[in-house]
Amino acid sequence: MATMTAQDFDEIKANVQAGNKNWIKVGMSTCGIAAGAGNTYRALEDELGKQGQTVSLRTCGCLGMCHAEPLVEVCIEGLPRVVYCNVDEDCAREIVRGHVMGRKLLQDYILAMHYEEAFS
Amino acid sequence: MSEKTVLLQDTTAGSTAGTNDFFGIFKAALRESNLADNVRLVRVADMGIYNQGVVMTILPEDVTYANVGSNDIKRIIGVTLKHGNPVKDLLYQPKFHQMRLVLKNCGRLDPGSLDEYIAAGGYRALLKVVGQQSPEQVIADLTASGLRGRGGGGYSTGLKWKFTREAEGEEKYIICNADEGDPGAYMDRSVLEGNPHSVIEGMLLAGYAIGGTQGFFYIRAEYPLAIERVQKALDHARERGLLGDNILDSDFSMDIDIRLGAGAFVCGEETALIASIEGKRGTPVPRPPYPSVRGLWGMPTCINNVETLANVAPIILHGPEWFSGIGTQTSKGTKVFAVTGKVRNSGLIEVPMGTTLRDIVFEIGGGIASGKAFKAVQTGGPSGGVIPEKYLDTPVDYDNLQKLGSIMGSGGMIVMDEDDCMVDIAKFYIKFCVEESCGKCAACRIGGYQIMHILNAITEGRGALEDLDRLILISRAMKMSSLCGLGQTAANPIISTLTYFEDEYREHIVNRRCPARKCKSLLQFSIIRHQCKKCGLCERACPEKVISGDREHGYSIDTDKCIHCGVCFDVCKFGAVERV
Repeated sequence: MATMTAQDFDEIKANVQAGNKNWIKVGMSTCGIAAGAGNTYRALEDELGKQGQTVSLRTCGCLGMCHAEPLVEVCIEGLPRVVYCNVDEDCAREIVRGHVMGRKLLQDYILAMHYEEAFS
Repeated sequence: MSEKTVLLQDTTAGSTAGTNDFFGIFKAALRESNLADNVRLVRVADMGIYNQGVVMTILPEDVTYANVGSNDIKRIIGVTLKHGNPVKDLLYQPKFHQMRLVLKNCGRLDPGSLDEYIAAGGYRALLKVVGQQSPEQVIADLTASGLRGRGGGGYSTGLKWKFTREAEGEEKYIICNADEGDPGAYMDRSVLEGNPHSVIEGMLLAGYAIGGTQGFFYIRAEYPLAIERVQKALDHARERGLLGDNILDSDFSMDIDIRLGAGAFVCGEETALIASIEGKRGTPVPRPPYPSVRGLWGMPTCINNVETLANVAPIILHGPEWFSGIGTQTSKGTKVFAVTGKVRNSGLIEVPMGTTLRDIVFEIGGGIASGKAFKAVQTGGPSGGVIPEKYLDTPVDYDNLQKLGSIMGSGGMIVMDEDDCMVDIAKFYIKFCVEESCGKCAACRIGGYQIMHILNAITEGRGALEDLDRLILISRAMKMSSLCGLGQTAANPIISTLTYFEDEYREHIVNRRCPARKCKSLLQFSIIRHQCKKCGLCERACPEKVISGDREHGYSIDTDKCIHCGVCFDVCKFGAVERV
């Protein structure tokens, strides 16, 4: 394959950014998996399929909040981007039905995070 | 008006009902103002802010109010919800924030996607440097940034690179030390699992700077997921020409492989690590010569920790001045800590160097989970020490922690409350070091074993006051004459607990009492007659059958035969078993 140039980097970035704007991310590092993120992921996958939703379901690493795993971040256009904590299978299905389809934020599951990023 | 979201929680300790009450009041107020359809009112599980009364965040303005009373609701609705302006006197002013540099993309990116990493600015530092800047320039930048090794030693990364570059050798190696072994520390695993490319990019930059030809990840076999993800990331990078021959069309060629460690703590020590990669038994050899001069297979070798390497690309990209602007005089940048133990929010945090322990434990960590009194925080793992409450306001950096008799280490932080016995803690760490000692040098092999014996005696009520002097003597001998860091620092937990909690040691020895009620051999169990409900649970649970009595007359414990296991204390629902 030809060597990557600065142009290729820009192209990849543009492609990634042009991807699906509606997504759900599940933290799937050792800590999350130990807390049951595997079941959470499968429940989300199953419920999204059942309901015929085209939201992109992704995995990611660990946000560092071990006490709150499994963590699921949800981004649906028109709603604030939020992180849900302690997401079990029932909550996962509720995310699909209530948040994705019902366009409502779930009560009692949001984890607010406060940190600044050292660079953008 | 546009749609708004109000996230709220009563952050007063132990008040879950408070959130519901306030939610109801706010909801009613919204209905009254005809805003019920325009405002999303959401109860939050955890605001990340503690003991600040009712806290709410309003989106999209992203303003946060703390200590909100029900009489403030009108103003919030009128000023913020209707007009988007802040109510200034209610604004929450955080003292500080976590700052994410190493962890920035952990939990944000798919670790299996090279594209996502590139889209987030990944491999731009490599693109900026390779074929464009001289290796000397890269080293100068790293040195100027003030980055120090995050694995424990705190040695200047730039200098390490410089020495490796200047050393003579046909081949030069770069090793990523991912043999994370401190009890309670797992930041490296998280970075490798969450953002493996950031470490690979750091290794490539290090390789470019030192004139490296080959890199190795030394990862412990207990991290199977990290290994899988790093391997996948290496494969992806190789496919795109970011790894291998003529990287990015330059004359810089370097490949990276993985070597697995078998989980021996000593293999985190650089000379033992090198021996392990060479296929030999993982034991250290005296330094100098340092690995930067004669390392893997006799060639100059640079060994950097995972977190250190993850810092490299941002430094190259944003400049040394940017990096050295964060942190304290002697310690630059941020540090990731694994905060565990009796703290409410256990997990990984990243803060600028110089953040105080109090902020870490009480602001970010949310304080002690059980609500009991804070006792100490242990930093630096088996090579570190405990820091008592009176030093909680110390800004955390390499030098301050050392002054307090502990070390930064890799960043484990174990929070302890009044139920933790300091002699028991010292015993735990020395036991760990005894098990992990490679046995090569006598000071570590014998010294650790003897300390363990003395501590066992003290916690079992067989201690003598002379033991305290003996502990100091052996500790000093280990420090001065052990071959490697493991032995030299193994006694640190003993010295530091003795420094700050000598009373506790004395109480064990003189009065045969464990103030934290942790050392079971010293505990006496008895049944408080007037509190006993005569249920008989303790009698059935006692493994030695030394509790006698019946449901009519109540029960008593035969203290001579009691093995102090504490089962009766644990099973009694009425607090009728006394433990002194």
